[in-house]
Amino acid sequence: MIAKPLVDDLRQIVGKANVLDSAVDLQLYQYDAYLEERRPDAVVFVHSTDEVAGVVRACNKYDVPFVPRGGGTNLSGGTIPFKGGVVLEMIRMNRILEVDRPNLRARVQPGLFNLELGTALAPLGYQYLPDPASQKAATLGGNVAENSGGPHCFKYGVTTNHVLGLTVVLPDGDVAKIGGKALDTPGYDLTGVFVGSEGTLGICTEVVVRILRLAEGVKTMLAIYDSIEEGSETVSAIVAAGMVPATLEMMDQLVIKAVEESIHCGLPLDCATVLIIEVDGLKDDLEAQVQAIEDLCKAHGAREVRVAKDEAERAMLWAGRRGAFGAVARITPSYLVCDGTVPRTALPKVLRKVAEVSKKYNLMIPNVFHAGDGNLHPLILFDWRDADQKARVMKAGMEILQLCVEMGGTISGEHGVGLEKIDAMRLVFTEADIRSQVRVKQAFDPKNLANPGKMFPLPEEVRRAA
Amino acid sequence: MQPDLAGLRGQLEKMVGAEHVGAAPTATVKFRVDGIVPGLVVRPGTQDEVSKVLAACAAANAAVIPWGGGTVMGLGNRPRRADVVMPLDRLDRIVEFDAANLCVTLEAGVKLAALQTTLAQKKEILPLDPPADTKVTAGGLVAANLSGPSRLLYGTARDWVLGMRVALPDGERIHCGGKVIKNVSGYDMNKLFIGSLGTLGIITEVTFKLLPLPAMRAGVVGLFPDLAQATGVVSKTLESVLLPEALDLLDPDAVTLLAPRLGLEAPAGAYGLAVALAGSPETVERQVRDFSALFRDARGRATPLPDGRSVLAWDTIRNVFGLLPVPPAVRVLCKLAVPIGRTGELFASAGALGRRHGLHAAVAAHAGSGIVWACYLVGPKAIPEAVVADALEGLRREAEGAEGSLVLQDAPASLKARVDTWGKPGDGFGVMQRLKAEFDPRGLCNPGRFLGGL
Repeated sequence: MIAKPLVDDLRQIVGKANVLDSAVDLQLYQYDAYLEERRPDAVVFVHSTDEVAGVVRACNKYDVPFVPRGGGTNLSGGTIPFKGGVVLEMIRMNRILEVDRPNLRARVQPGLFNLELGTALAPLGYQYLPDPASQKAATLGGNVAENSGGPHCFKYGVTTNHVLGLTVVLPDGDVAKIGGKALDTPGYDLTGVFVGSEGTLGICTEVVVRILRLAEGVKTMLAIYDSIEEGSETVSAIVAAGMVPATLEMMDQLVIKAVEESIHCGLPLDCATVLIIEVDGLKDDLEAQVQAIEDLCKAHGAREVRVAKDEAERAMLWAGRRGAFGAVARITPSYLVCDGTVPRTALPKVLRKVAEVSKKYNLMIPNVFHAGDGNLHPLILFDWRDADQKARVMKAGMEILQLCVEMGGTISGEHGVGLEKIDAMRLVFTEADIRSQVRVKQAFDPKNLANPGKMFPLPEEVRRAA
Repeated sequence: MQPDLAGLRGQLEKMVGAEHVGAAPTATVKFRVDGIVPGLVVRPGTQDEVSKVLAACAAANAAVIPWGGGTVMGLGNRPRRADVVMPLDRLDRIVEFDAANLCVTLEAGVKLAALQTTLAQKKEILPLDPPADTKVTAGGLVAANLSGPSRLLYGTARDWVLGMRVALPDGERIHCGGKVIKNVSGYDMNKLFIGSLGTLGIITEVTFKLLPLPAMRAGVVGLFPDLAQATGVVSKTLESVLLPEALDLLDPDAVTLLAPRLGLEAPAGAYGLAVALAGSPETVERQVRDFSALFRDARGRATPLPDGRSVLAWDTIRNVFGLLPVPPAVRVLCKLAVPIGRTGELFASAGALGRRHGLHAAVAAHAGSGIVWACYLVGPKAIPEAVVADALEGLRREAEGAEGSLVLQDAPASLKARVDTWGKPGDGFGVMQRLKAEFDPRGLCNPGRFLGGL
């Protein structure tokens, strides 16, 4: 429990109605899309940079931890207030402050949903590219905190490649504008360090992003395979042929079945895997690219390649992919999403190994993933009411991450470390590597109040190990 | 405490071999930084040796300055100390070229042009194109965050570095990132070191993401009677769906330097706009047509440059300031970074500055990225340094007024004593100071050269 004077201070700062501290209310903020739960001591709805700074300063005064929360879609426990304290609900800071076409920038508040920015830009002929599958419910502030990816990252990069400036409330309550509309700001790239820091270095209250013209043309295709190996080999073949599609996505049979049952987007139920491939850019060579990719798919065993004839067909294909996580929830009450990443050519091998893990632990593991990036998302299905199952799930998840690391990959491609992968950090990093990251944390947050207990073992622990 | 360089020299000789250690002045005079001649030069041969040398220097309280290709040693304020200079040219191995996964890992001393030659054998490319690529090293490119015209389409080091190994100031070795193209395991430590100018540690190895080599390249150069027509084409391009690789604006002085080498006949006073195109033959040919038409509509004269000629032309354009006859004058090279829409304005101001003071100069801009480069020849006696300093501060104020910055990329030490290289630190400087204190508490790595004297 936090002290009553802090709650009084919070009410002063944001108004009485914007502070929640009843048990029922707090229960709604104790979870995200990961499997752990921890109840905050208070939830504060914030509306401006000044309010956020005020709340953070108040937390400092009482040495109480704080955690910003956007859409709550986080898959690694990043939003869970592990040490209690104050949750700052950012969702009301949801305005587009400026669409600055001459400078190819937009300035937005962090509570804006990713999709809302895209929807606002499209009629103007522009786009913001990182497009996490959760874009309907994930906020841009959350995207910044997690350095979110999405299907279009293979060609266009992840959030950090598109965020050029931030207004941040530092962990001591100071407000800093870092980066900006211009490039190459002198000094250390604090914006680059902040993106992906999972709320542990402060809270962003304004984001300057790069916007791009919508591509002149887009072609989306679906390649259908009777063997998952052939599908994953095609991915490497397309890249080896010198092509850079906008997306190279893959779903396996279990996912296709779940998607088809919930969304009815016309996927064949009897195939082993499908690839969703999209090419975009100037329209002059798109037909030729589609033809070349179709030929490659067939040469690698695709039984059928469908090209979306119009926007409606394209939207249908994407509805299937974007709805995959939701659809899979029909099969069992819970699942753990793995987020390991491997060099693309290791995909066939890692998929075989995941199948072995599935057998070994007697768990269903459907697979939906960003094949072009080598970023796989095995979904380990289980029933959270069964403690034995849950224990097996955690072991299976760790084993899959270990496999990814052994193949030259890493433990998280886009979902973050959060609570979930704290232990897995040591699979990829030495003690010295982790100590150097803790130095960054110390420089920003010497009192360890910003989302404590996430990402790496506690600073004290790392220091002791030194 | 003054470091005992004689004692340190003996230790370093044992570590890396006596032939790779030299002492002032004979061996170190060519490694002087802003006129300061370092006490020792040490050339480690492996990443492990870099870390051991750093540890020995730290124990001896000796300040270390890393040295890559030496092409941008003029960047930075005058160092507070320069005890040991560490060229990394012996770290010249390509560790792993994983063509199938479009990535390459190499030691910091590998030269960019040599790397591109290796990559081209597998039809791949690292799309970063700073000037002087035959000398620029991978480590230097990353540490100084160097870039070139094609940053318009491809971005800069922060978009292409997947991982790196760094030797920290106390000699501890760490790695950041990895070799996969999406990676959110822990903080994005690569970003901390990119552009940090060796003030937090020494980059010993870099892993880059690569691209397939474009099937075709071409260019178009437009010459315009007035700046407004050229900048009008820039705006139209940025509003269009066209995807040029580079879009460089050239002032009449730059055009005069370049025209004979590009085989162009340029009317006096003409402004230039050069476009680079890369991709499939269909898209490249279409864009050559579209840009030629755009140029003509703006009363410009368009000269298409076919494949091979375009590559050579761009090699010349990105090195344009090397064409200025520097000695006996001294050059001042400024880099302005402003929001894209303000490029034309700052480009004009940078040119006006040279004309106002009668300086031999050239100005070029990466017009789609908001980057303006201005090179002025000063001295030996032409114009008082105080006047140049005032003029540069004026230009800096204008850039800062446009939410941008002006950085002195190269300037004589005497001028840098009057004009800070980076300008005044802004928001977040407290965090930067604490980062420096965490990583280099005794201030031994490139002391004083970075923003705010970090």
